[in-house]
Amino acid sequence: MRVTLKTRARAKPRIPIEAETIIPQNFLQKNDVRVYEGNKERKLEDIFFITIEGPAVSPDQVEIVLTGDTGVIKRVGEYMNAGRIIVEGDIGMHCGNFMSAGEIIIRGNADSWLGREMRGGLIRCEGNAAHYCGAGYRGEKRGMRGGTLEVLGNAGDFTAEYLCSGEVHIHGNCGDLPGVEMRGGVLTIGGDCTRPCGNMTGGTCRIFGAAHQFLPTFRRNGTEDVEYNGKRCRMAAFRGDVANRGKGTVLVRED
Amino acid sequence: MKIEDVVCTFCGCLCDDLVVEVENNRVCSVENGCTLANEKFMRDHRLKNPIRRDGNGWKAVSYDEAIRETAEILLDADRPLLYGWSGTHGEAQSVGVHLAELIGGVIDNTSTVCHGPSIMAIQEVGHPGCTLGQVKNRADVIVYWGANPIDAHPRHMSRYTTYADGFFIENAFRDRKVIVADVRQTESSAIADEFLKIDRGGDYAALSALRAIVRGKGDLIPSRVAGVTREQLFRVAEICMKAKFGAIFFGLGLTMSPGKYKNIRNAIELTQELNRHTKFTISPMRGHWNVYGSNEVFTWITGYPYAIDFARGIAFYNPGETTSVDILMRGECDACLVVASDPGAHFPRACAEHLARIPTVQIDPHVNATTHLATLQIPVAVTGIDAEGTAYRMDGVPIRARKLFTGSYPNDQEILEKIFARVKEAKRS
Repeated sequence: MRVTLKTRARAKPRIPIEAETIIPQNFLQKNDVRVYEGNKERKLEDIFFITIEGPAVSPDQVEIVLTGDTGVIKRVGEYMNAGRIIVEGDIGMHCGNFMSAGEIIIRGNADSWLGREMRGGLIRCEGNAAHYCGAGYRGEKRGMRGGTLEVLGNAGDFTAEYLCSGEVHIHGNCGDLPGVEMRGGVLTIGGDCTRPCGNMTGGTCRIFGAAHQFLPTFRRNGTEDVEYNGKRCRMAAFRGDVANRGKGTVLVRED
Repeated sequence: MKIEDVVCTFCGCLCDDLVVEVENNRVCSVENGCTLANEKFMRDHRLKNPIRRDGNGWKAVSYDEAIRETAEILLDADRPLLYGWSGTHGEAQSVGVHLAELIGGVIDNTSTVCHGPSIMAIQEVGHPGCTLGQVKNRADVIVYWGANPIDAHPRHMSRYTTYADGFFIENAFRDRKVIVADVRQTESSAIADEFLKIDRGGDYAALSALRAIVRGKGDLIPSRVAGVTREQLFRVAEICMKAKFGAIFFGLGLTMSPGKYKNIRNAIELTQELNRHTKFTISPMRGHWNVYGSNEVFTWITGYPYAIDFARGIAFYNPGETTSVDILMRGECDACLVVASDPGAHFPRACAEHLARIPTVQIDPHVNATTHLATLQIPVAVTGIDAEGTAYRMDGVPIRARKLFTGSYPNDQEILEKIFARVKEAKRS
């Protein structure tokens, strides 16, 4: 089944739409799917032109395609556990919150908290991701716990904060403090970043660009060879953050 | 008439030892107050009546008319924002929260541009704090980090730290060591025993280095961290570890510099580390006189201290998403009620522009920068002068602000209760 949701013109286009109901399992049966526009509850057809093609007997056979002015739509794919969502343009905050399986493809940019506390599945953002990509909710001690989150462009500040498990791969640059409070999993940064992995207690962060303002509380621990994009790279290895327990690993490209 | 033990409702110190002389419903003199207090009490030029924007000018309207119009604006909105609250008493803040819930709006206080990051850090790792009385009576080491109390909280040092003799500190000026960490020299740094001049944005690294030293991992600290020498970092760490009782106070230099709440978290974790060696506490230097109160009131009603979104009927909190500056920058809200603060003066230009585009109502006694963006302004009594109410000092101690005389203005609570009643009636019908 292919569900196409094309946004309608709205009187107040900047008011965000909260649409955690846009997940494949909700389109299997003809459920009354509703979303919120600000403080008003709306029917899905009030916000989107809906086209449904083909049958499906399980959520993993459902593909949702979002088109139009989708940059203010929040929480798409929240708690998703099967199927596929394709966003043709940008997507709003909290896309793929807590998702456990399935796939989300974003052709444009993603706003903050992309893949917040995701447990499994795959998110691929072909543009840039804003702050807190693959991070946790406020006050939560564990961020992303599984799955793969890939951003082909750049990511903002606090990327993979509290990363616990799974893999976050940013092909471009990251902002300030990527991997801060990281305790497990793998964070790969293809470009540059600032102050990586402050207060980390576990996990591995690989940086193939420059690590600006590298914190003084990481202990040099030899070198390692790592393969990245088909090339063998010599990496300086560090253990830290010794201001905390210091059991994380940061690899920064040397050559 | 002279009134003693008056509470100053300007900054978070809430000094309660002012002597104020009042004649003909006007403050004539203030004793014991700092420059800021004198200005607050003596230069109190109020707006006379509610005003509504009328073309390029203003038109006087009645209180009833202003309240009716405010209720209509809030009822029409799909994403109303209720911002401010730090310059009014707790009872009014409480009505504000209930109003936000009723209209499905976002309610936020000025923490969003001051110590919001401190609260976020406290939610992550807790708050080893204490009252200012404990600091005054016990602390022999005081650290001001990213704060300049001589300018911003002029009586903090004389009432609680450097110049205040305490029960266990008989000669405070000589017995207390003062450490100041800042990016530039200030009047406060001039009286410090140690001044850590930190490169801009280097607080996180300096705090991490101090944590490592206190943990006994100082061997890997390089010769200079964020502009501070290794020797000075070791010296400061030793002063702190040898203290009988230490107190860290931090300001916006730490909360609003790169890293934001992670800086505060690092400072709190340094405090926790120091508590393995001695007693150490950490406290924010709160700015607005009742901003701490707004956090308290919001928390006891909703569970969250600021940036609370009731759009879905339940409280949702996510600074960065539900904070006023972010909502205004993205142009999300379609109406705004500003109570007891001045976002026009403190928010980024894009936020001010959006406030000017949407219906903005301000409840405030004075003409300020927000007046120029507002559609409607309702003047009210000033808590601590002609209105009374509960406020929370920067250390969380509740203090009752007194009414010095009975004036002609209604207070914030009365106005908000009337708006609430109108909205509720409209919703019911």
